[in-house]
Amino acid sequence: MTALPFAPDTPVDAAADTGAIAPPRWLRWSKIRPVLLPLLFAVAWLATWQWGVERFPQTRSVLSSPSEIGAILGRSMPLLLPQLASTAREALMGFALATVVGIALGAAITLSRRLEQALFPHLVLFQIVPKIALAPLFVIWFGVGGETRLVFALFLAFFPIAAATAGGLARTRPEALRLCTALTASRWRTFIAVRVPFAIPSLFAGLKIGMTMALIGTIVGEFVTGQQGLGYMIMFAAANADSALTFAALALLCVVGLAVYATVVLAEIVAQRWYGAPFVTEGFN
Amino acid sequence: MSERTLSFVLPLASAAVIALAWQLTVQFGDIREIILPAPSAIAEKLLRTMPSLLDQAVVTGREALAAFALAVAAGFVGAATISSSKILREIFYPAIVTLQLIPKVALAPLFVIFLGIDHEARVTFAALLSFFPVLISTAVGLNNTDLSALRLCRSFGASPWRTFWSVRVPFALPHFFSGVRISSTMAVTGIVIAEFISAKEGLGFAILAAGARSQTAAAFAAIAVLCILGLALYGAVAGLERLAIRWYRG
Repeated sequence: MTALPFAPDTPVDAAADTGAIAPPRWLRWSKIRPVLLPLLFAVAWLATWQWGVERFPQTRSVLSSPSEIGAILGRSMPLLLPQLASTAREALMGFALATVVGIALGAAITLSRRLEQALFPHLVLFQIVPKIALAPLFVIWFGVGGETRLVFALFLAFFPIAAATAGGLARTRPEALRLCTALTASRWRTFIAVRVPFAIPSLFAGLKIGMTMALIGTIVGEFVTGQQGLGYMIMFAAANADSALTFAALALLCVVGLAVYATVVLAEIVAQRWYGAPFVTEGFN
Repeated sequence: MSERTLSFVLPLASAAVIALAWQLTVQFGDIREIILPAPSAIAEKLLRTMPSLLDQAVVTGREALAAFALAVAAGFVGAATISSSKILREIFYPAIVTLQLIPKVALAPLFVIFLGIDHEARVTFAALLSFFPVLISTAVGLNNTDLSALRLCRSFGASPWRTFWSVRVPFALPHFFSGVRISSTMAVTGIVIAEFISAKEGLGFAILAAGARSQTAAAFAAIAVLCILGLALYGAVAGLERLAIRWYRG
């Protein structure tokens, strides 16, 4: 966040500093507030939910209370964990394959200016059209097993990754490239030492979208194949009007979603450290 | 040829090459139509079933438009509310970012429980999916107003309302529209997923039904219509964006 010259926090902090019993730095209100407020909000939200369901028990068939969901979550763990493993495995494998294929093809089309002009618009176009609609065709092609879900996840995750790789590589600063030419760097050396570092922010933006898409692809794949996975559990429980189980499976799915996203963010931090963040992030926003 | 013509001709040429290769592979590779119909077979199916496909497209298009309009309106109002105060921002922003990251697609069956299998369930689900991109990018845009412009407003004694509409909103427009563009694709996607789960009509249902009967050409024809629908919505948004930005620049 941009620091304002007239930021409201500053006088408060200054006053706290001069006080006789100044609290330690990390305990100041301006420091703990951004953490405390969202937590309080979450607690208040859950409490209202719990109270609402207990106050109006007729909603129970469509909406369980948080405590019931927690209880079901604990009790159904043996049922839910294999489904969770299945979803996570298929999404991660789809994402990993999409990363390899997407980066390879995205980099390949930037090798030639003409090739890029010919194919990049298609990558962009495929980002816009609702690819989700192809899910039933994947069932025809690959059956109702895990391959369908994995390949569908790969298919959805591929386009953002390939487009981001190609876009990032193509947007290297011309000055840097001219410098490479002047220093008679080889094409390969230029690619590794200049183009790739410049493409990293764009690449990771694509990987983040790709990871979300891989998980969405797996879930939609589970909806249409209907064999296993958390998406299948959710649909099955919802069809049985078992809202507690539905929410329990949803909660686990949220954990999976946040975990895989955090992994990509971590990888981004490592990559930026490796290549030197300030240089890389410059010029992109 | 000039660079400009090339950037126009090359994509079309590559598309033609891909379609031709597809056609020839299917014709001479002895691939059954159930697995992969040739482009010519899809086109023929498309033309023959056009009236019924258009009916389905109207259903899907109407729902997608309704969801999209709801999402944009709610997203804009929500972003304006959140960015109006620092406390509100601190309370809601982490929750919104978290919700953005979790796979909301999985909520689709829940909407069937809550709202039944009618239009409302599908529109609400798609609106929920397409709401977050608008909310987040508009909030980011509203917070990124040029500080010197805000200070100028303050020294002129401009009311918060006037500052919002004349300064913050124009600064936020590019962010707002980048969110709206994503949201337009999410609205169509959301409707299709909801139709997979609950519908009795619409393009998503047509695709699912054709897939279940292994009528692959019919599925492809419906997908083609759906793609045109998605592109039309996206194109309309992109056109509006140009108009709005030109209008605000005067």
